[in-house]
Amino acid sequence: MVLLSAPRWLRSRLTDRFWRVQEVLKYARHFRGRKNRCYKLAVRSVRRAFVKSTKARREKKRFLRALWITRIEAASLEHGLKYPAFISNLFKSQVELNRKVIADLAIYEPKTFKSLAALAQRRRQEGFLAALGDGKEPEGIFSRIVHHF
Amino acid sequence: IAKTSLTSPPWPEVKLPDPAEEAKYHAEVVQKVNGMIAAGQYGRLFAVVHFASKQWKITSEDLIMMDNVLEAECGDRIRMEKVLLVGADDFTLIGRPLLGKDLVRVEATVIEKTESWPKINMRFWKRHNYQRKRIITNPQTVLRINTIEISPCLS
Repeated sequence: MVLLSAPRWLRSRLTDRFWRVQEVLKYARHFRGRKNRCYKLAVRSVRRAFVKSTKARREKKRFLRALWITRIEAASLEHGLKYPAFISNLFKSQVELNRKVIADLAIYEPKTFKSLAALAQRRRQEGFLAALGDGKEPEGIFSRIVHHF
Repeated sequence: IAKTSLTSPPWPEVKLPDPAEEAKYHAEVVQKVNGMIAAGQYGRLFAVVHFASKQWKITSEDLIMMDNVLEAECGDRIRMEKVLLVGADDFTLIGRPLLGKDLVRVEATVIEKTESWPKINMRFWKRHNYQRKRIITNPQTVLRINTIEISPCLS
């Protein structure tokens, strides 16, 4: 005799509800208040926490770059150079160190940073001299002084 | 001609030192540094290396972790070629932008190839019944920098 429909005492019951709840609560254990204990509140908090962490992973790069730039600015001001002058002259002398490494050098290798600042300063002065040129007036202009009669 | 605000440039006037004297001074410094390197009078060397599209400031015996796969087995010795800067206590050699391969030699060994901790990527729009959760594990490689060597071939 083959029974085509299942008898009434065979029900499909959820047996691992505890572990499904723990999966969410384990990420909320260090939260403040009832959201570290109650599932309904924890679900919302954990979801927000995950979304914030994904967005923060993208912002971390911007934040760290700003931090490095602040540190390099402080260190170069100690040597008498401003940050735009320092960075632009360093790139013009074909030294391609990124800001993370220059910030680390400024913290842990002060002598090396001083030599980099001196290099940038020298390149800056050479740039000024090159901008002045020969000191002669360009051809085609007969006088810079205008006479009013 | 009368002095106006535009006759002299806004930066203070600079005078560069004499090029012949400068060349002599440079040659002297280079010889001195060469002598120091040949005699081995440097303590711990540090180097700035461009590797895996990142720049690292490394010394000997330190660990580096990269967020990608390296096509080398565990225990392979690797030589890093793009060296940007090498320094010791008394001198630094700055490359423009790279230093020569005959000047510096950086050796490293591959120690470990693992995956990162499971990072969770979640997107959620409120009131739209939209949420996506994705777990990402990036492959990582751990390298140990064995030695940094320099040779006295400056010019």
